[in-house]
Amino acid sequence: MSSKILPVALLAALGAGAYGCQGNVDGKLPGTGNPINGSGSGDGSSVTGGQTPEQLLASAACAKPAPGAAPLRRLSNAEYRNTVQDLLADVAGIGPAVATASKDFVEEAESLGFRNNADFLGVSALIAQGYMDSAEVLAPIVASTDKVVGCHTQDAACAKEFVVAFGRRAFRRPLTPDEVVRYTAIYAKAAAKAYDFKTGIEWIVFAMLQSTEFLYRVELGAAKGSDFTPSQHETASRLSYLIWQSMPDQTLFDAADKGELGDKKQIEAQARRLLKDPKAARLLEYFDQWLDTDRLNAFARDANVYPGIAANLPELLQNETHAFVSYMLQSPTGSLSELLTGQYSFVNAELAKHYGVSGPTGAAYERVDMPGRSGVLTQGMLLSHDKPTRTSIVRRGLKVRLDLLCERVPAPPNNVQLNLEALGDGLTQRQRLEKHRTEASCAGCHTLMDPIGVVFEGFDAVGRARTMDEGGRPVDTTSDIAATRDLNGPVANAVELGKALANSQEVRDCYVTQSFRFFYGRDYTAADQCSMAELLIKFRDSKQSLSELIVALTQTDQFLYRPAPEAK
Amino acid sequence: MKRLSRRTLLRGGGGLALSLPLLEAMLPQASAQAADTPRRILFEFKANGDQTARRFTATGETTFAFDEFLAPLEPYRSDLVILNKLNRRYNLLGDKRSDGHQQGGASLAPWESGAGSYPIGGKEGVTIGYVLGPSADHEIGDMVLKANPTVKYRNLVYRVGQKNNDIWNMHSHAGPVGTQNPVQPETDPYAAYARIFTFGADDAAAKAAIEKRLLKKQSALDLVLDEATSLQSKLGRADQARVQQHMDALRDVERTLSGGNGAAGCLPFELGTKLDPYKDANHEAIGALFQKISVLAFACDLTRAINFNWSGNTSNRVYANLGQTEGHHDISHDSSDEAFVKIRAIHKHLWTMSTSLYDDLKGVTEAGGTLWDNTLVVHWNELGQGDAHSENDAMVILAGGAANYFKRGRYLDFQNKLTFADMLVSCFHYMGFEDVAKFGDDRLNDGAPLPGLTA
Repeated sequence: MSSKILPVALLAALGAGAYGCQGNVDGKLPGTGNPINGSGSGDGSSVTGGQTPEQLLASAACAKPAPGAAPLRRLSNAEYRNTVQDLLADVAGIGPAVATASKDFVEEAESLGFRNNADFLGVSALIAQGYMDSAEVLAPIVASTDKVVGCHTQDAACAKEFVVAFGRRAFRRPLTPDEVVRYTAIYAKAAAKAYDFKTGIEWIVFAMLQSTEFLYRVELGAAKGSDFTPSQHETASRLSYLIWQSMPDQTLFDAADKGELGDKKQIEAQARRLLKDPKAARLLEYFDQWLDTDRLNAFARDANVYPGIAANLPELLQNETHAFVSYMLQSPTGSLSELLTGQYSFVNAELAKHYGVSGPTGAAYERVDMPGRSGVLTQGMLLSHDKPTRTSIVRRGLKVRLDLLCERVPAPPNNVQLNLEALGDGLTQRQRLEKHRTEASCAGCHTLMDPIGVVFEGFDAVGRARTMDEGGRPVDTTSDIAATRDLNGPVANAVELGKALANSQEVRDCYVTQSFRFFYGRDYTAADQCSMAELLIKFRDSKQSLSELIVALTQTDQFLYRPAPEAK
Repeated sequence: MKRLSRRTLLRGGGGLALSLPLLEAMLPQASAQAADTPRRILFEFKANGDQTARRFTATGETTFAFDEFLAPLEPYRSDLVILNKLNRRYNLLGDKRSDGHQQGGASLAPWESGAGSYPIGGKEGVTIGYVLGPSADHEIGDMVLKANPTVKYRNLVYRVGQKNNDIWNMHSHAGPVGTQNPVQPETDPYAAYARIFTFGADDAAAKAAIEKRLLKKQSALDLVLDEATSLQSKLGRADQARVQQHMDALRDVERTLSGGNGAAGCLPFELGTKLDPYKDANHEAIGALFQKISVLAFACDLTRAINFNWSGNTSNRVYANLGQTEGHHDISHDSSDEAFVKIRAIHKHLWTMSTSLYDDLKGVTEAGGTLWDNTLVVHWNELGQGDAHSENDAMVILAGGAANYFKRGRYLDFQNKLTFADMLVSCFHYMGFEDVAKFGDDRLNDGAPLPGLTA
């Protein structure tokens, strides 16, 4: 996840590099300064400031609601597209129209591997113009759809009626009287120029789709005793954006109108309803960004080394992970453990042929047993950082270390000299790295990555199982994992590493941390420890259920409350 | 609603709507402004450092000689100023700096770095983050906008290749000082062209459509700005700043709705068959398009500051056109002779592409000469010596007539005593902003432009 395109390049340096890094390798990385990375035991205390989650929740620190920051969030590109799609669901053919309208949106600046961090969702002129251009495509389509416009009198009263009804959905709350005046005035402006009714409606929609009330998830909050919460409609949006990456549906609007989103139970019931809806498939956005399966389309393989590879392999691999993760999400027993260890996958005929397994004969992705595989670890995620001509042990190891263990790796020194090939012809990359690590200055860093990476040598750079490497030498997948909190020790292959990861509290803590970052749209900080403690306990008690963690994310102080407003 | 002038009607609506017959009618007017021909600046980036020992075979001030990978520049030497061995002094930033690639990639924004965006760090508690201040292209562009009401865009930011944006590939920053605020570049030349150029018909119906469209946009902007102002009053300080940034962006957009300059070179060109901008194999064609768009944007005086990048820093593009199969960054970390042969080939290839920009600039005539005569191209890289990640030994090449501001045809060796940031100060001065004595963090500046550059 964090290691996107550029990091890949950085890892290349690691791949061959004499990293004179000073990191000690006793299971504690230097330089964390962050509660995520304490050296801890198997109780989650590493992410909750040294106390167990239970101790922390029972302490004075969590005696009253303790929400962390709730920054104003612009819709991410994915949220914008989903929102417009749902807002205009009654318009025939809206899907392709939304795709066209927003095709030139620039990608958000990435932070910690995710593209929805509130701090990096600022609006530049280029982005503002993108919103204008998109609104210009969509507004006339809306204005031409009678079903959306609603009334038929084609006059100012009808326009006002449209402002109230459409605005309520666009802003995800009832409009204020001032807002109704503002938007009917723009209709009047068009009418004064003798433009027709449709033009007036178009202008209303054009403006609303550029409004800060539409483009941001504005929360003004409400007082609840001495605490502060989101309003009912703001809570509806918190729910829908967390699970659907989009605006609330009518049921949520109704619940908010009736004040039925005020307590945890009601919110939980809604969360469970949303999870069952097909729109919950949009949760895959999180997995794509975390596992880098959204980056597969950038991969290039040398056709001389990997002849006959299907041009659409990246798409097939992304679909595979989507099908696999969806299967996990749809069952309460779909767990982090299963995600990392399942010796099966979902393939269609094309991908089955690529992998050399039998079964599926059509375009649909069907479950097939794949002994020797280990869940997402051996799917597209594994390949996303390989090289054009070979696997990258170091990059694979680093991917696991950064994104599944939430560790940090020291930066390389500036005088790094890389020429592993010179270590000897006829060696496997594993052997070269082993020689390389006999130098103490290199071992410090490479011990963090290589022992994890070599385990995956049983899979080539296009994801197929193999026994020989690119140079025709036998692969050796045995390893001795080092420098982790709780999974050090020997492993024979990817299956065993998957099991070790699945049993690791460090991995569980990391998964909850990554979920926190994505679903709350910002980094986890020490101020969030009470919410984190709740999440860790629920994750543990649900046996690391992926879908139960989504529900749990709606039950924390962070979700249910807002920080006190700043003094003006 | 502001009253629409005839010129506004004809040009406004979307980007720059200029009709061709009308354009010709405006030529005399453009010529009349010859005395005040605008100065432009374009920063051009190449990645991963080079091989410092192979830049030159002779280093006399006027008798310098290019080695292999700079050889494509020889025909242009009389319009170049070679600035060799500039320091960046990032060691003075202590822990508040990123790794060599990222901090070096922010050389146009010589500020400390924040942390928190990528989990690789050096010292205790440090991760890599974006720099905490604006880049020179942004600040120069800002000053241009304030001084010239007719210029439409503060700056244009282009990158060839990757679509994703991360701490490694964003080289323009909006600031203000103390804020991580990277600016996403445009990466699709077809979209970039369509965004700023609209050459339309000139009949009555077209004019009416433009008027209607402009009124729609202006009305919506007025409304949204009003609404954002009232939203701001309800928010805390940090969120107010977010909305303020959005409002500033809307005002930027508003500025582009009308006006324009009907200069002679402001003519449409064919973009050709559409290519995938994100395939390594297409980098030449995509880069060439961005170069042409840059030249046209200058010709139309839509902007005077451009930040053009052949890639992000740490680029791992595979130059298959040079017979290579490994990524550029991978190769750059190999110190073997064979690796440096490849590195030099990449640089020679990219420098050859740079000269096509020169030729494009020379191809547009304007009052008193060509665009080349009034443009400064600033070539830079995030590193000095690639395999060593050196941040000093930076080579900057200034190219272009640049309004005869610089004494050209020279090689100057700064022996790592003065800085890249000092060079940026020289750029501000060239652009007419001579009261700028330093740019960026105090520790990275010497308080003056580089000495001995000007004519």
